[in-house]
Amino acid sequence: MIVQALAFYLFAIMTVAAAVMVVSARNPVHSVLFLILAFFNSAALFVLLGAEFLAMILVVVYVGAVAVLFMFVVMMLDISFAELREGFLQYLPLGGIIGLILLLELAIVLGGFVFSPEASEHFAAPIPKGGAVSNTEALGEIIYTNYVYFFEAAGMILLVAMIGAIVLTHRTRSGVHKQRISDQINRRPEDTVEVKDVPTGSGI
Amino acid sequence: MTQLAFPDLTLALPEIFLAAAAMVLLMLGVFSRESAAARTVSYASILVLLFTIVMVGLVTDGRAVTFGGTFIVDTFAVYMKALVLLSAAAAILMSREYLETNKIFRFEFPVLVVLAALGMLMMISANDLIALYLGIELQSLSLYVIASFQRDSSRSAEAGLKYFVLGALASGLLLYGMSLVYGFSGSTGFDALAKLFHGDAEHGVPLGVTIGIVFIIAGLAFKVSAVPFHMWTPDVYEGAPTPVTALFAVAPKIAAMALFIRIMVGPFGDLSDQWQQVIIFISVASMLLGAFAAINQTNIKRLMAYSSIGNMGYALIGLAAAGHSGDAEISASGVEGMLVYLAIYMFMNIGTFACILLMRRQGRHVEDISALAGLGKSNPALALALGIFMFSMAGIPPLAGFLGKLYVFQAAIRAELFTLAIIGVLASVVAAFYYLRIVKIMYFDAPEEEFDGPVSFEMKSILVVSSIFILFFILLPVPLLDSAAAATASLFN
Amino acid sequence: MYLAAVFLPLIGAIIAGVLAFAKHGAEDRGPGLDRAAQWVTSGAMLLAAVAAIFALMDIVSGGNTQAVEIFTWIDSGSLEFSWELRSDTLSIVMVTMVTVVSSMIHVYSIGYMGHDPGIPRFMGYLSLFTFFMLMLVSANNLVQLFFGWEGVGLASYLLIGFWYDRPAANAAAIKAFVVNRVGDFGFALGIFATFMLFDSVSFDTIFGLAGEKAGATMQVFGGEFHALTVICLLLFVGAMGKSAQLGLHTWLPDAMEGPTPVSALIHAATMVTAGVFMVARLSPLFEQSEIALNVVVIVGASTAIFAATIGCVQNDIKRVIAYSTMSQLGYMFFALGVSAYSAGMFHLITHAFFKALLFLGAGSVIHAMSDEQDMRKMGGLYKLIPVTYVLMWIGSLALAGIWPFAGFFSKDIVLEAAFAANTGVGQYAFWLGIVAAFLTAFYSWRLLIMTFHGTSRADEVTLAHVHESPKVMLIPLAVLALGAIFAGFALFTFFVGEAAPEFWGNSLFVLESHKALEDAHHVPLWVKFAPLVVGLAGILLAYVMYMFAPDLPKALASGFARTYRFVLNKWYFDELYDILFVRPAFVLGRGFWKSGDGDLIDGVGPDGIAAAVRDIARRAGAVQSGYLYHYAFAMLLGIAGLVTWFLVVGG
Repeated sequence: MIVQALAFYLFAIMTVAAAVMVVSARNPVHSVLFLILAFFNSAALFVLLGAEFLAMILVVVYVGAVAVLFMFVVMMLDISFAELREGFLQYLPLGGIIGLILLLELAIVLGGFVFSPEASEHFAAPIPKGGAVSNTEALGEIIYTNYVYFFEAAGMILLVAMIGAIVLTHRTRSGVHKQRISDQINRRPEDTVEVKDVPTGSGI
Repeated sequence: MTQLAFPDLTLALPEIFLAAAAMVLLMLGVFSRESAAARTVSYASILVLLFTIVMVGLVTDGRAVTFGGTFIVDTFAVYMKALVLLSAAAAILMSREYLETNKIFRFEFPVLVVLAALGMLMMISANDLIALYLGIELQSLSLYVIASFQRDSSRSAEAGLKYFVLGALASGLLLYGMSLVYGFSGSTGFDALAKLFHGDAEHGVPLGVTIGIVFIIAGLAFKVSAVPFHMWTPDVYEGAPTPVTALFAVAPKIAAMALFIRIMVGPFGDLSDQWQQVIIFISVASMLLGAFAAINQTNIKRLMAYSSIGNMGYALIGLAAAGHSGDAEISASGVEGMLVYLAIYMFMNIGTFACILLMRRQGRHVEDISALAGLGKSNPALALALGIFMFSMAGIPPLAGFLGKLYVFQAAIRAELFTLAIIGVLASVVAAFYYLRIVKIMYFDAPEEEFDGPVSFEMKSILVVSSIFILFFILLPVPLLDSAAAATASLFN
Repeated sequence: MYLAAVFLPLIGAIIAGVLAFAKHGAEDRGPGLDRAAQWVTSGAMLLAAVAAIFALMDIVSGGNTQAVEIFTWIDSGSLEFSWELRSDTLSIVMVTMVTVVSSMIHVYSIGYMGHDPGIPRFMGYLSLFTFFMLMLVSANNLVQLFFGWEGVGLASYLLIGFWYDRPAANAAAIKAFVVNRVGDFGFALGIFATFMLFDSVSFDTIFGLAGEKAGATMQVFGGEFHALTVICLLLFVGAMGKSAQLGLHTWLPDAMEGPTPVSALIHAATMVTAGVFMVARLSPLFEQSEIALNVVVIVGASTAIFAATIGCVQNDIKRVIAYSTMSQLGYMFFALGVSAYSAGMFHLITHAFFKALLFLGAGSVIHAMSDEQDMRKMGGLYKLIPVTYVLMWIGSLALAGIWPFAGFFSKDIVLEAAFAANTGVGQYAFWLGIVAAFLTAFYSWRLLIMTFHGTSRADEVTLAHVHESPKVMLIPLAVLALGAIFAGFALFTFFVGEAAPEFWGNSLFVLESHKALEDAHHVPLWVKFAPLVVGLAGILLAYVMYMFAPDLPKALASGFARTYRFVLNKWYFDELYDILFVRPAFVLGRGFWKSGDGDLIDGVGPDGIAAAVRDIARRAGAVQSGYLYHYAFAMLLGIAGLVTWFLVVGG
């Protein structure tokens, strides 16, 4: 158990530290790299919890897709974070005070937090007893049957995101020549080539 | 792990139909020729929305839940869904001309509106915090996109971006509140929460739940653009294309209000002592800001933004009255007043925006209030219609707007919220100033150049229907009042 | 008959009013409408006068009958009274006098106002005034009296300001109205006090109870006062205002800005005598209060001498007559004050005739002189307008109290009564009256001589146009002249002679102990002759000063410059009031207007709220900076505020 605890604290501290670095790193590329580090550590935490499917998904989706996409974007758009931080100090005092007040208040609120007596039963839920159902199977059951509504709703949201992205960015530029393969294939010699008899010797 | 039964889908048929129709329309748009697609999809989506109203009306039978209790269908939901679908259909109907003039008439617009409507229906039927959140996000995301639909206009793009960023912040607040509530109560389902908090009014609930409710209220207040979470409204209303503004002013407001009502009188109904204060505060602040800030506006869309802030303040009076602890009848009267108010509000706004959409000069849309000068002479019919809407908004009897205000004020008085009612009346006096100023400009100022004609059949019908409703509602208010009463009753059982 | 006498003028007024409106739209039909208005109103007035004479004979011969009730006016709790026409001698005498004089003046106005553009309006006002006056004198309760009282005030205002394009006329109209308001305030308080004491405002009830309540007291400003004294003094304040008695007299000379027929009708014959009438009408109340009667005597006598002195130095022909009117009103009041009500009434009636005659005569002069009113620019007119000259003589003789003209009889009995009252105030009144009689004769002949004798001081253009007035003006003058000659002679017996008790019936009430009138017939011979003698002396002095030694007045004026100026400026009453009331009122009004209404009420009220709304609107708009982070910050601020609120207040 000690090993497990040690591992948990190691990964947890790494996650938080990496998250702090994401925000504080000067170079945006470093930020993304720290983000990837945070993802990995989170995945490790999932593994510790016995949620290996989530861990894999996290690595595959977030590290493999999202973070890489971020990296592309950051590298393609030459964002100057220094510029974005301008005026930061100007608003710091007032913003800081408000933030502090809010933080204190939430601390007070969370101070009253107690685990409900039944909480321990819920904690066991992710890993079904006796290995009757596999992790993946259990998730599938929950997502596609129990929470199918949420799943489909999320799907609709993604659809909207997709449409939105296309609507707002896609445009057909005029004056740009594009390769139209079907046109190329459908082209016939008659359409383009004219064979003329040229009498010899008379020139053109 | 027990095998779970697949949920009953029949209750969600209207939503499923709408989702499927949205995708079909999308395909239709993508695979048909560019030029004609927009128009076809546009009319088809109106038909879809109207057909969905019929389906919504058919599905219900009292109160029923599905999807493990996360999705609820009751008379209240039917009433609200009908309003939302109707206003979405009207928005699409009004949009064609504007979008064509501005060369942004594309088939994605009606599809996005249909998807937004789907999100709103999901909001209205939400019976779970997560369902609520998903509905809101589906709706919001669609709206963010169409706010910047005129992507070549920097104002439109700015409007969309502002709405998006602030909306994300609001979603964050909402999620935070939801997580607090879940954390301190252990449940996200409304029914479970209601059971948990039942009878808790005396010995109190954990502070975390209270603060969670405050955060949820903040998130929802952003959606109905209530002060102090209203800041996006004027900029987005002004920047977004006018038909989009028309949609913003009505459909999302009604949906968010429905959510507001459901969550406040449902799971948190027994905690009204906790949230009534907040609702009263944002109601008063909204009414006052809506009344005062509109006075100096010169852009009519901006003016309508403040007008809708103020109107949401009046509607929230009903919710505050619904927070009356003890007597369920008084609470019901608050909700009922609110429902009637929202229906009237919908007609007034659709009519007004139809008028605004007709403010065209030499093929361009104008938005300055001063452009209305002399409309009483150059286009008496339009001036009359706009005059009716303005008088109604100002709450002048016997127009419908007066009755709407009357019902919420009455509810407030029954709930002994006298200060709130008095502030409401005073604010509506101040607000009357800018509504009547428009009437004054139309009828007494030196005429300007005429607006472009002719008025299309769609616009005419919208104007006629809404002005007839506003004018003659007082003669036959019973159908609406009865439906509102039935909707309220289903909520309180 | 009685009803016809009272309501015919109203009908005439309404028709004339309609005609005035009709004329407004159609200038081309103007002359026809003018004619119609003149005929209708004059005809109605003449009919009313005839009716009144019949009613007079009816009532006097038939004894004082019951009042004619028209309909119930107010019936609220114990306050209950009707519109009624009181039929007793006092009322009907006044009705007759008013209708007769008024009809003469109506006819006269046909000529005098013949060239005015507003004829229907003028005739309408005139008839309306007459109606109100008749309402006043025929009232059977205090409220109806007050109705007529205010009505004549209104008509007077309208008529003084008839030429509304003249600033002086407007100012005079306002002054008359405002000064009368002071008196009316007292009158209204008097009515309230009466109702408080008697629980009724009907004359019959009040008079019936007056004896019973003679000892009653009432609380005024914390002190106990004799109730009837308080009531009578308050009512007398009203009478002073209406009858231009010393203190509230300043409006009357200015009222001469109105057309001359108005001066004759309202400011000589009828309205100004309303105060006298009122005191006579309320004799049962006044009789119970010695103090009130004494006040009446003192005020009356002082006014008589005060006005007479001013009359001697005025140069405006109408103003001389106006001061003369004031002076004569003073006579009437002190007659009332010594309980010689019938003597006062007698003088009122005779005075109505000869003063109307004088005014109309003056009008005729002014008419002849192309609207010139300054006597210094007249002179030598007797050859040019002989008829007017003769008529003016008759009027002046009557005024000066020369036998056998009307004024002789009435003034004599008034002065004798004052003497016979045998009290301190009686003596005061008598001696002042004698002096005033001397002055009266003096200024009357001063007027005659300056106007008609000597060399003409008018310019040639005016002189060339001098012409005798048309018959329509002269005939009424002649009728009035008949009155001025014979009224005293004819009415003496009825009013104050042997037939008086029977004539008056119970319309006047005199306590047994007040025997002034009875004793007046038995005064020493010198008292009887004194008025006549001083009158003649006055005439003589006038001849000396203005006919034979024209430089004497000037010498006197420079010799007694201070006195002269004092008198010329009307004892500085206007100036005094200006300082005492008008200017403080203006300062106060301006203060209330500027700081009270403007700064405080408007400033905090409509303007302030509007400004505040605009200010708030500007600020509310300014918050909308357009910066995203401002908006986000506002949201966070909002949520922080709400949470804090909950933790601090709610938690």
